[in-house]
Amino acid sequence: MRRGFRREIDALEEIFRFLEDFVAEAAIDESTAFTINLVVEELFTNMVRHNAGGEAFIDLGIERVDDCLHLELVDSGVERFDPVNIPAPPVDAGIGERRAGGLGLYLVQTMVDDVSYSYEPGTRQMRVSVTKRLES
Amino acid sequence: MFEITRDDSGRVQLQGRFDAAQVTRAKEVFSLVDDSCVVDFAELSYISSAGLGLLFATQKRLTERGQALTLANLNPHIREVFRIAGFDNIFKIDE
Repeated sequence: MRRGFRREIDALEEIFRFLEDFVAEAAIDESTAFTINLVVEELFTNMVRHNAGGEAFIDLGIERVDDCLHLELVDSGVERFDPVNIPAPPVDAGIGERRAGGLGLYLVQTMVDDVSYSYEPGTRQMRVSVTKRLES
Repeated sequence: MFEITRDDSGRVQLQGRFDAAQVTRAKEVFSLVDDSCVVDFAELSYISSAGLGLLFATQKRLTERGQALTLANLNPHIREVFRIAGFDNIFKIDE
């Protein structure tokens, strides 16, 4: 399944409906469904916030191949920004040493099996690809 | 669908899906929390980092005044997200 979504935080409602249809069609378990929602929200909202000058729609594709789930978000007309290779927040620290923020992409990296980033300078297109193995 | 309410005892009730589009509404309620209270997750099915960030900011503000949020009735998926985020060090979580 593949579809473009408006570059707005309010598009999340449509995105969750799209994912709900996918989860039903591909017979995805509840735990993985939760993870997919979170991963897509974090990556999508990151693109909305960091790539304000990009094209009007962000493309989301998702498919199940055997026991693996593959999803990707593609954002065009944007500057180079790698959301994958970022430092982890100090999750073992107490409240005094921590600050709000920085958790979203860390959650993505921790909850999936693989996440990668590529950038095509010609089209100024960034692509984030995620693989998640399904629970047996 | 997301709802946030506060009952007469001061307990904050969360319901539905707490995503990035709901933070402004939730902030209106949490900004009025000045004392220790329970946040009840019993009817909450989903939360992302946007909700975590607001809860963290509220906890940090309260802790500086000697107060704290206690989180209750987290479903297993949300509980796991809190564990990964290292929030076991930040919140008292009633199991």
